[in-house]
Amino acid sequence: MFRYLIHRILVMVPTLLVISALIFVIIQLPEGDYLDTYIAELEAQGESVSAEKLAHLRKTYKLDLPPWQQYFYWLGGLLQGDLGWSFEYSLPVNEVVGDRLFLSFVVSFSTIVFTWLVAFPIGVYSATHQYSWGDYGLTFIGFLGLATPNFLLALVLLYVANVYFGTSIGGLMDPSFVGQPMSWAKFLSVLEHLWIPVVVIGTSGTAGMIRRLRANLLDELQKQYVTTGRAKGLPPMRLLAKYPLRMALNPFVADIGNLLPQVVSGAAIVSVVLSLPTTGPMLLDALRSQDMYLAGSFLMFLSLLTVIGMFLSDIALAALDPRIRLQGGTRR
Amino acid sequence: MMYETLTRTCWAPLKMHFFRDCGVSAMLESSCITYTLRLRARCFLALTKKLLFLEAPYCLAVLAVLSFHGPAAALEYSESPALKELVDAGKLPPLEERLPSVPRVVNLEGEGQAVGRHGGELRVLMGRSKDVRMMVVYGYARLLTYNENFDLEPDLLEKVEVQGERQFTLYLRPGHRWSDGRPFTAEAFRFWWEDIANHDEISPVGPPKKMIVDGEKPKFDVLNETTVRYTWSKPNPFFLPALAGTRPLYIYAPKHYLKKYHKSYTEAQKIEKRVKATKAPSWAALFNRKFRPYKFKSPKLPTLQPWRNTVKGPSQRFVFERNAYYHRVDAKGQQLPYIDRVIMNIAAGKLIPAKVGAGEADLQARHLKFSDYTYLKGSEKRTQNDVRLWSTTKGAHVALFPNLNVEDPVWRTLVRDVRFRRALSLGINRREINQVIYYGLATEGNNSVTASCPLYRSEYVTAWADFDLPRANALLDELGLDKRDDRGLRLLADGRTMTVVVETAGEDTEQTDVLELIHDSWLQLGIKLFTKPMQREVFRNRIFAGETLMAVWGGLENGVPTANISPAALAPTSQQQLQWPKWGQHFETGGKSGESVDMQYPQRLMELNRRWISASDEKSRADIWREMLSIHADQVYSFGLVQEVPQPVVVSRRLRNVPKSGIYNWEPGAHFGIYRPDTFWFDQTDASRLAGTVQGSSG
Repeated sequence: MFRYLIHRILVMVPTLLVISALIFVIIQLPEGDYLDTYIAELEAQGESVSAEKLAHLRKTYKLDLPPWQQYFYWLGGLLQGDLGWSFEYSLPVNEVVGDRLFLSFVVSFSTIVFTWLVAFPIGVYSATHQYSWGDYGLTFIGFLGLATPNFLLALVLLYVANVYFGTSIGGLMDPSFVGQPMSWAKFLSVLEHLWIPVVVIGTSGTAGMIRRLRANLLDELQKQYVTTGRAKGLPPMRLLAKYPLRMALNPFVADIGNLLPQVVSGAAIVSVVLSLPTTGPMLLDALRSQDMYLAGSFLMFLSLLTVIGMFLSDIALAALDPRIRLQGGTRR
Repeated sequence: MMYETLTRTCWAPLKMHFFRDCGVSAMLESSCITYTLRLRARCFLALTKKLLFLEAPYCLAVLAVLSFHGPAAALEYSESPALKELVDAGKLPPLEERLPSVPRVVNLEGEGQAVGRHGGELRVLMGRSKDVRMMVVYGYARLLTYNENFDLEPDLLEKVEVQGERQFTLYLRPGHRWSDGRPFTAEAFRFWWEDIANHDEISPVGPPKKMIVDGEKPKFDVLNETTVRYTWSKPNPFFLPALAGTRPLYIYAPKHYLKKYHKSYTEAQKIEKRVKATKAPSWAALFNRKFRPYKFKSPKLPTLQPWRNTVKGPSQRFVFERNAYYHRVDAKGQQLPYIDRVIMNIAAGKLIPAKVGAGEADLQARHLKFSDYTYLKGSEKRTQNDVRLWSTTKGAHVALFPNLNVEDPVWRTLVRDVRFRRALSLGINRREINQVIYYGLATEGNNSVTASCPLYRSEYVTAWADFDLPRANALLDELGLDKRDDRGLRLLADGRTMTVVVETAGEDTEQTDVLELIHDSWLQLGIKLFTKPMQREVFRNRIFAGETLMAVWGGLENGVPTANISPAALAPTSQQQLQWPKWGQHFETGGKSGESVDMQYPQRLMELNRRWISASDEKSRADIWREMLSIHADQVYSFGLVQEVPQPVVVSRRLRNVPKSGIYNWEPGAHFGIYRPDTFWFDQTDASRLAGTVQGSSG
């Protein structure tokens, strides 16, 4: 097991290197660079930049180097913990990301909790009451959440919250609390705004979770040991919780790998629509304006989290489910 | 030449006031015994000084004070209660010491304008964190500013003297201070000129282009503590307009703040430390980062704007506090701005109309489009806001640009033929577009100057712009494009079907809607139109490379030019001119890349543009403008569709001094800037709120 862990950790290094190269190539693929965006923006306002000034800017930002040199320049910085320079904000990337990260965590964490709280009981209920009205009804609601475009649901809820509850539109708190120290009133304001993104992002995730849990549980419920347990006279709830439900939990654990990056990136589209101060919209903007170090470092960070998340979920799965555990320690 | 009148025109009204007031005071004297001797003496003193042509600034001070206060009022400045507390606590010097000895007195006698009261918070919404710069735009304190009639007048400067557009003498206001209380003197100009603009590490490309005439830099002199002079050997008509620009040419810098980042003033070691700490590539880069007065990001950089930024970004909310040393006062002597704080909330641009409709802004036009008008109007009752329509001045709100530099040889010959361009323009039903998309509120016509421009002639806008299919078809037949395929589409000389791909930057559904309408009418000419949206950078690069046949974009940036504004936008002078990018590039790079102009009329436009720079009087400049405009109208280098699409402006009913109708323009205009947002104020009384409601619903 130990050798396996070491091996997994070592494999991460080349994986990340390949990812970094891929990210860089993809960001560089669209024509032009950040300065083109910059010029276009100035032009849209009826201003102009001289060619010499541009050449000078290219030089300061090292955009005149060949791509592979830019790549190594960026990679070298990354290894030293320097995420690079954001052109758009003209600040170091670390400072730009700053407090957005925390709010992203808040949103995503609440969403995950919400999804689990909703999906888990529904999944169990629909599996144990298969093809009943309750099963159909709840599944229908779950699918509604999946089928409704998130941004549409977001806009509807935004409108309802504004007109009927007087909540300010968009954002994660009332504008007057932005930049203020944490207080009870601010906390309440955050709660007042938080439910919309949580419900919107959450509803789309619940359907999948419900179906997976239901399917897994149905598989298990057919098995001999359940029949045996029932024959021996175990109370239904105890039987359910003790055996088949535990077996059906695998997808939850396997999801941890995807969860970590999700927690950071949030649901970008919903965040854009709702104008949430999270990291999702920022990543989108950075990609659009070819703010390459901001986008690149950000994607790199997400990849790192994915890789680590996968590692953790593998370990957790192995710990939870004896069937997955490695035999002999050498075979992969 | 033209600016020589500048000092005179700003003197004239003052003089009038002076004499009128003296007359009034003489009358008062006979009836009112309490009238003080002191005032009379001052009045007399001023008069004699004026007559004896004594030192202008002092005289002006007395004049200004006298003329605006009237003889019965005490000569007293008053300030915002918010600052009064600080003064009383001894944290801030009293107002008299903070104002320049000659503040700019703002006259609020225009229609619907009134002297206001201090206080309140103004909420605005912006799309991105970098939009803090919009407060420099709205603040619009410049060395010179445009007024509502687009005439230049001195603002930060007390006056300007111009000789033959070659020599510019700028007089500062004595006692003027930066927002941190340090003096703003000629040293700020010297520091910028010698230690920034001409420093080869900080500005490797030298002083800004607008200060270079035929490769020549101006001679810079400091005449005294408050006077500087720039002299060129040839006329530089671009200098003063650049100083008044929305994104102005900054020719001064706060030395006291910046010197700690400058190698000539601070030891290398100390700077080295700072450079390391901030991870800047070099000390010059760090310096440039610190001196960005337009971007307005740093709360530490001293400013001269009415409000100063207090939040270091990035943030979702910026707070701007009033500049305690601001140089403008109203006629009652109250220091401007009236509004104590401006709150700028950042939200996604697409969400801003919704937020405005929910009453989250007091003054908003940015990110509101004409298509939001009905929604905003519907929300008026709930939000207690007024939705007004201001006019815009772009040469065309939407225009199609045939690329004369397109690579495809067959198409190139065709788009270079004026008959083809005329036929396409005649094949557009502008009236339908106006009715369907703009509720008939826009003006149909070419990409040219608008009706409010002094150079306007109706034929510039209407030539080849009526919807005339038979004539258009006849023109196309005349070109030998009379063969058609089985769908009735015309065939090109080499047998291809005539399909025109119009590329758009795809940021706006409005453009695609318009193109859909054009598609239908061009089909009747036997031409099939396809719309191809793409990302903005790709869009531009394809045009520059000649891969694009036709593009859709906004028309002329300034549709209300005067004869004294450069007509460069009408001649091939920039790569960004989408109908001839390669010619523009050729001009910009001095012939190093691009292609030289090889058509008769564009060559003529180039020549006229050159002649304009050396033309000395307004009449010959106007003649040049008119010739260029008629060439454009006749040769149809772009297909303008509609002009003067109204811009919705949402104004809180409590906010006063915002004009009912105005011109919403970037340059010149600075959006709200020329309407002086520092004079906007909140009416807090209930009675006025009621009155405002009545007023709003009737208007």
